[in-house]
Amino acid sequence: MDPSAIVASSLNKTFNTKTGLWKTKTKSTIAVEDISFNIERGELFGLLGPNGAGKTTTVKMLTTLLLPTGGTAKILGLDVVRQTAEVRRHIGFAFSGSRGLYNRLTAIQNLKYFAELYALDPAITRKRIPELLELVGLSQRGDDRVETYSSGMVQRLHLARALLHDPEVLFLDEPTVGIDPVGARELRQTIKNLISLGKTILLTTHYMAEAEELCHRIAIINKGRIVALDSPDALKRRISGDSVIEATIQTAQAHILMDRLRILDGKTVVELKNSTEPEKLCIRTPEPARVLELLSPYLNPQYIQGLEVRNQTLEDVYITIIQGEKE
Amino acid sequence: MIQSLVHSLRVYLAEAWLSYHGRFAITSPFGYIASKLGFPFFLMLFFIFMGKFVGYTNPLYIVIGNVLLIPAANGLGGVTLAIRDERQWGTLSYVLGSPAPRMPIFLGRAFYYILDGFVTALLGLAIAAGIFHLDLSQVNFLLLMVCIFLVAVTSSGLGFLFGSISLVSRDGWMITTTFISALYILVGVNFPIESLPVVLQKVAYGLPLTRGILAARLALDGAGWNAISRLVAGEVLVGAIYILAGYLCFRLIEKRSMASGTLDAI
Amino acid sequence: MSRLRWGLIKRQMVVQLQVATLNLYSLGLFVIQPAVFIAVGMLLSHAAGNAMPDLVYSVVGGGIMGMWSGLVFSSTYDIAGDRYNGMLELIVGSPTSLATVEAIRTLTNVLSGLFSLSLAFITSLAIFGYSLHGVNFWGAGISLLLLLFAMWCMGVFLANFIAWSRISTWFVDYLEMPIAFLCGFMYPIRVLPGWLQILSGAIPIRWALQAMNESLLGNRDLTFLATHWAIAIGISLIFLAITRWLQVKVHDSIRLSGELSSI
Ligand SMILES: Nc1ncnc2c1ncn2[C@@H]1O[C@H](COP(=O)(O)OP(=O)(O)O)[C@@H](O)[C@H]1O
Ligand SMILES: [Mg+2]
Repeated sequence: MDPSAIVASSLNKTFNTKTGLWKTKTKSTIAVEDISFNIERGELFGLLGPNGAGKTTTVKMLTTLLLPTGGTAKILGLDVVRQTAEVRRHIGFAFSGSRGLYNRLTAIQNLKYFAELYALDPAITRKRIPELLELVGLSQRGDDRVETYSSGMVQRLHLARALLHDPEVLFLDEPTVGIDPVGARELRQTIKNLISLGKTILLTTHYMAEAEELCHRIAIINKGRIVALDSPDALKRRISGDSVIEATIQTAQAHILMDRLRILDGKTVVELKNSTEPEKLCIRTPEPARVLELLSPYLNPQYIQGLEVRNQTLEDVYITIIQGEKE
Repeated sequence: MIQSLVHSLRVYLAEAWLSYHGRFAITSPFGYIASKLGFPFFLMLFFIFMGKFVGYTNPLYIVIGNVLLIPAANGLGGVTLAIRDERQWGTLSYVLGSPAPRMPIFLGRAFYYILDGFVTALLGLAIAAGIFHLDLSQVNFLLLMVCIFLVAVTSSGLGFLFGSISLVSRDGWMITTTFISALYILVGVNFPIESLPVVLQKVAYGLPLTRGILAARLALDGAGWNAISRLVAGEVLVGAIYILAGYLCFRLIEKRSMASGTLDAI
Repeated sequence: MSRLRWGLIKRQMVVQLQVATLNLYSLGLFVIQPAVFIAVGMLLSHAAGNAMPDLVYSVVGGGIMGMWSGLVFSSTYDIAGDRYNGMLELIVGSPTSLATVEAIRTLTNVLSGLFSLSLAFITSLAIFGYSLHGVNFWGAGISLLLLLFAMWCMGVFLANFIAWSRISTWFVDYLEMPIAFLCGFMYPIRVLPGWLQILSGAIPIRWALQAMNESLLGNRDLTFLATHWAIAIGISLIFLAITRWLQVKVHDSIRLSGELSSI
């Protein structure tokens, strides 16, 4: 038996979109480029990346919904392109959002429909539907139409649907998007329980904390490429010598401060966060003492109003990597 | 005064273009017209063969009635869709909350539908004339075009009525399409009004389109302005009444739903 | 499909009825629209100076029209709706093939259309005094079954075409009415110009319908009917084979283009 649950080898996906009907122009988008990884049985593997990175595209190729334009992928040793039907029997998947259920039907009616699509034995269906509703905390609402559900409930129903046929491998695409913090935490707990039952899970997310809390290993993906792949701890250790200095600054003086720091070598990354108010200068550096020394002449409210020095989180690692890619 | 009028006109046309363009993914104008002409054109062929079966000798009668219904249905549907879309996409309360006058907004939105309905109708007429070797030598084309354009505008009044319905009911579009198909019976498209039961004849003369289609038929036989002026004036009058009534109805429903807060509810 | 999955067939039909068929639109499709066609047919006949319209073509034909429009509309709407709400992807991703789901759905839609036909038939009997005297019942019955089969084949073909791309819905207008007028839904085929009659020969519905109309008009000529039935079956099977062949291509193509979901 193949020891790996999921093997992706040099997966590629290029979309050719045509615009216009008569005078057609073809535009190519490279959504996924040369992605490879191995996921062990029982592992919870995270695919982490910003919007448009290619996470959903990767998941859709692995779940047989999209044909790769290059490379191969195997689930439990079965080829996703050539052994499609077999693969589909062994995997479950859920995409984020409210799509993918018949809103006019109740949760139970939806689940019964999918049970038939997965050719489940009626006796098993009868037993499993209440169990799954219990698992995702929807027992009380099973007979209500899906259109009356909140987005968190819909998301949990998606999970129940994906688990109907007791698949060995589970794909969850941004499962906690649009759910309130309490609901998201409950969902994460459910996911952990699934791992303890021995399932293999591939999870995509753009929340670092979620990936850090759940995943055994994480692949950071950006613009269709894997830019880092390791356990959360190892990823943090990679730049663990670094510290983060956050300076709250006067907007008008930002360029002076940035000029001042320019003499530092490439290991220090300076980023202006103008999404916050007041603006912050975020400096990731292996030599914090040197940075503080350079900034010391400006430590007065006209330039710098506050200063904070802390250690790296996974979010910092992620931002460093994604930022590094931009240059 | 004139300047501000011209300005608002430009705003409406630009806005109307955006709303119209937003609906259609097909970018090529040829593809668009072709996609629009399909249904009414083949429906017309269907009626022509139905007519041939029961003993009609000249298909021109059915052709011209069906051709005139294309821009009319467009004018009617255009206003309804303009109102319905606004409701669905949730920008209606925003537009209506602004002090801009409402009637021009929706008529402006319908403008492009009317225009493309006009082009589609001419194209349909040309193709049908080619297929059935219709004799168009007598036709007073200028008056015919006036009639085609006229019915498109007068029908848009009905659009306000149906648009209002779609503000209060989520099945508004369904009701609109049902009504449009009833027009194939009522306004003298396929057969003269006189074949209808008397009650329906009364209804027919109370609707826009009826007189416009009669006028167009006269223009087709080469009649001059004098012969059709009464019919045209009648069509204008009926159309104006419908636009006004539809508009008032729309304002009424708008006010009520604003009060009850149901405007953007789907 | 190696064995018939009754559970799936039943469930899919129930879901189809709940999600799509039992809907106000169906009233328009299966009742109002045929009524409009029937009215036009009768008034047209009246305007042409006929004392009595031909009930088989004008009234029962309206029911056929309702059946067909209902089928075209629901096939289009089902797939487009599923694409829009993300269901198409989930169905394709399940071990049940999309082709199976389409087949069952189309069957449901064809059978729902029987409502329209029955209504038209009852109307012609009860209101317009259509007499069953002389009708060839066995001929009409067999023809009806074949008509349903032919419509089902066309429906499956259409559903596959719609699944192909979002843009294909735009071309449905080039299928619905053309097939209606080519097959002579509300008039006999002989009304058409010769070349259109030949063209209509390629559509299985035309042969089954012609046999049914002739049977309703009292034709008992077994050679005539059997020929029509055989041709209807033959062409239906050809359509089915073409559809099978296209399905493989379309199902690959939508997984390549990403047309499975609208986002
Ligand atoms: N069906 C499609 N056609 C064309 N481009 C697509 C399609 N699906 C995704 N893309 C493009 O591929 C890239 C990756 O998208 P996606 O996998 O959805 O990213 P993510 O899930 O990480 O947000 C994006 O640039 C997106 O625009
Ligand atoms: Mg995504």
